[in-house]
Parts: sequence; C-alpha cells; structure tokens
Amino acid sequence: MKAAIYHAFSHKEAKDHDVQELGSQRAEAFVRAFLKQSIPHMSQEDCESHLQRKAVILEYFTRIKPKPRPKKKSKGLSAKQRRDMRLFDIKPEQQRYSLFLPLHELWKQYIRDLCNGLKPDTQPQMIQAKLLKADLHGAIISVTKSKCPSYVGVTGILLQETKHVFKIITKEDHLKVIPKLNCVFTIEIDDFISYIYGSKFQLRASERSAKKFKAKGSIDL
Amino acid sequence: MATLRRLQEAPRHLLVCEKSNFGHDKSRHKHLVETHYHNYRVSFLIPECGLLSKELKSLVMDIGPYYSVKNLPLHELITDEFINRFVKKGSFSALTYNTSIDEDNTVALLPNGKLILSLDKDTYEETGLQGHPSRYSGRKSMKFVISIDLMDLSLNLDSKKYRRISWSFKEKKPLKFDFLLAWHHTGTEESTMMAYFSKYHIQEHQPKVALSTVRELQCPVLRSSGLAGEPEEACSALEFFDWLGAVFCSADLNNEPYNFISTYCCPQPSAVVAQAFLCTITGFILPEKIHVLLEQLCHYFDEPKLAPWVTLTVQGFADSPVAWREKEHGFHKGGEHLYNFVVFNNQDYWLQMAVGANDDCPP
Repeated sequence: MKAAIYHAFSHKEAKDHDVQELGSQRAEAFVRAFLKQSIPHMSQEDCESHLQRKAVILEYFTRIKPKPRPKKKSKGLSAKQRRDMRLFDIKPEQQRYSLFLPLHELWKQYIRDLCNGLKPDTQPQMIQAKLLKADLHGAIISVTKSKCPSYVGVTGILLQETKHVFKIITKEDHLKVIPKLNCVFTIEIDDFISYIYGSKFQLRASERSAKKFKAKGSIDL
Repeated sequence: MATLRRLQEAPRHLLVCEKSNFGHDKSRHKHLVETHYHNYRVSFLIPECGLLSKELKSLVMDIGPYYSVKNLPLHELITDEFINRFVKKGSFSALTYNTSIDEDNTVALLPNGKLILSLDKDTYEETGLQGHPSRYSGRKSMKFVISIDLMDLSLNLDSKKYRRISWSFKEKKPLKFDFLLAWHHTGTEESTMMAYFSKYHIQEHQPKVALSTVRELQCPVLRSSGLAGEPEEACSALEFFDWLGAVFCSADLNNEPYNFISTYCCPQPSAVVAQAFLCTITGFILPEKIHVLLEQLCHYFDEPKLAPWVTLTVQGFADSPVAWREKEHGFHKGGEHLYNFVVFNNQDYWLQMAVGANDDCPP
C-alpha cells in the first residue's frame, strides 16, 4: 500500500522537478536539526519519546477473570402449583379431632421441656420469650378478640401455620381457616395463658424462630 | 384553622313543629308518645290556674313506681322465664344507669322486646356477636350497636343463635350493669318484680313531683291555626318554644339590661297572667302513663276555662341509646331529645320535637 502511495523519485524525475536527493543519513541529521530549532525547549529524550509514540493504556489487567457461569438449580414450585398439588391438604377422613389429641400431648411435652418444667412460679416473661420462637403445631388455640365477630370463640388444635393463616380443627371436626390479621389468639399451657396478637405474627413458622420482634405500632385491632 | 372553626361552631339542633287536631283520624300523637321509650322528666304548665283539679292530681301522684337494680348480669335478660313473665305480658323497659352513651357500654330493653347494646370497640370485639357500627362515630368506628330481638329468640330456644348469645353473655364476656326498670302490665301481679330480682338489691322508687304556682307570668298570645305566627297578632312556634324553656328555668322575662343571667324577653304580643300552675315529674316514666296524662289534659277544656292553651313537655334520658322507636341517639354536646304538646281549647294541638346533633330527624 505504502508502495502505491510513496515511491522514491527516479533520477530523471528528480532532475525534472529540481529536487535534490539527500542521503539517508544526511536526511536524518537535517530532520533532527530542524526539530531542535523549532522546538528548542524540549530535551533529547522528550523528542525521542514523542517520535516513538507510545500508546496510553487505560485499563490494566493482571489476569483474565473467569466469567461467572449461571448455575443450573431447580426452580421450585410457585404457590399456585403447590396448591394444585395438594400436598398440604388433609383428607376428610383424617379430619377427626380425636386423631390429633396425641399431637397435642406431644406439644405440651415439648413446651414443658423448652421451659425447663412449668412450675407455678416460673416467670411469664421467660415463657413468652420461648413461645415466640417455639413451633405451635399441635397447640390448642382459641380466638379471643377479632374484628369479625363470627371468628370469636373458635377453639381447636392448630394443624398448619402459614404466613397469614392458622388452620385449626375444632371439636366438631370442622377444619377452620382463620386469618391472623386483626385477631387475638389465646394459648393455654398448664395455667399459663398467653395472648398472641395476630397482626404482628404474620410470618412463616420457620422464619419466626430467627426473627427478632420489635414493639412497633399499636396492638389495637 | 379548621379545628378552630369547628370548635367555634355550635352543634346543630333540630326542631320539628307540627299541628293537628286530637279528633283527627290520622293524628299521630298516640304513636309518637308511645314510641318515645325512655322518659326522664314530664312537666306541664296550665296558665290561669291556681290549684290542680282532683283528677289531674291523683294521676300525677299515681304515676307509678320504677325500680333500680345493681350489677344485673346481661344473661338474666335473655332467660326464658324472664321473657315469658315480663316482656310478653305488658311492656317492660330497662335502661342502664350511670353510663354515658358516648363513653361506656349502654344497654336498653325496649317495650317491643328488642335488647339494644351500644358497646365500645374493645367490648364489641370480645363479645363476638354480630352488630353494626354506630352512625355517629367518625371514620374509625369507636361505637357499635348490637340489636337482639327477644321475642324472636323465645320462639326457638334451641337455635344456634340463642346458644351463641347465651354463650357470649355467660362465658365469653359477662357484662354487668346497674339498671332502671319499669313495667306496665295489665294484670295484678304487683310484687313479682321485687321477688324476681331480689338477688340484685332491687329498690322501688317513686317519681319526684314538684308543684309550683308562678305569679304574674307573661304569656305569649298564640293562635292555633298558624304555626308561624303573625307579626302583631300571635307568636310563632319557635318563639313559644324558647319562652317555655325560659319559664322552666325560672328565668326573668323582663329583658332588663343589667340582668347578668338572662336578657331574654317574652315574645310579643303577650298578656300577663295572674297565676300559672307548673308541675314537674322526674323519674323513669312509662309512655303509657304519659298518654293517660295527655288525654286528661285534653279533657281539661271540657269545661270552659280562662286559659287559652296548656302545654305538656316530655324530656328523654340523655344517655339512652335510642330516641324514637329504634332511631339511634348520641350525645354530642348535650344529648337532648324531647317533645312538647301545646293543647288548645278547640282540641287543636301543636307538637314540637327537638333533638340534638347526634340524632336522626324525629319521625
């Protein structure tokens, strides 16, 4: 390419155009002297570096980072899919109160162990603190106060606890679904009665054991 | 700014004036008297009269006792025995005593068998009975009204409704109140009430009667045909109502500028009456007795009398949860609900009904 643009003059052409050919060394010396004259305040090294034209590197990589590869994990079912699979439904023939009484006994034993024996002189604060983190499946729970009057008085054994709802089976073998919001529940163990304010309790049972409860807002329904 | 303006506004009052004749077929006076259940004070004013006639006097003295009980639990009012003995035979009224309608829980039993409970928010949420929020609470309802029909309950004592109500009153939230009771019955069982409620410190009270004669009273001139009154000839119903209130307070009607208490002036045209008879009965008075009194006052004009008119005023309890029939009543800045009859000598009458701010329009 360069050859197409530049090529040396032949002797004949040089004579025609009256161009004097300089030797290469003489040409270089001439250029240097010319530069020095035109840029007098630069040192020799600066001139050299200018002529050499070093490229400026903007980014500096020590080594090449490996691209994070997306891991292939199983997606998990959405709530709709879980409900359709009916994993958590209790079949009607199993919905009998008497079947769940041994569960209640188990739960009572569990709470007694948790509180190191429920003596009459145990501090209520300690029991409350333990109950906050405890699992309530199998407790006999009843609704004391609710914004909706028809929920008041429902009593039974807790079968399932989800984020917003308690599923309870009553003595008449009815499976009742009670929303936690705007309700106050009562749990009784061995003469200790505790009130649970449902609006502050809107957590999955598994997450509740790790959560720190703050007293925010009012407990008015 | 809005708060200041609200504080400076006077609460609204409503005065409904009607006129009719006692002999008229469609006259509603009986209905109105009998549906105003909880009456606290009855007064009547007869101008140009020095002494009460014998019939009136005997009526006034015999207006009937009322009873008070302490700590009566609510479940006593829904027992089958109570309903059959008292509510179904005659008309039984009850009202809680010493409770404010806007702060506390109030209970009233109406003669038609309805038990009305006006509860605050926490109590309502704990009883678990179906009710509706009161019309006079703000955006966030603080007061709820539960209405239980006892006649309906007594038809079927095994119903789920009855069981739920009795569970709520006995176990869930047992409420106890001091009650004022009155019973109008047509039979002869006088002492059964005392015997039935003997566990609850029942006491019998007679209404207080105050008789007085007012001398040299300025009375406005009225004409029964015009409620609005004519400028020089008769006074309007509104002016008359104000004047009557001033007379009951025993205020001076002279419009003396140096009088600190009252600068009220009797409406013109007026005539000075030598003497007028004023009688006030205070207590828990049954509407049936008031009706009898009204009839007797109508018969006052059977013989020709000097007086152009007589008035009968009835005031209700400020803390009653109902005004007329089952219309809700609230206490805003003065829980008044009262009515006034002006009976003329030609059997015409004017009826004025006044209510305060937290009330519906009277019927």
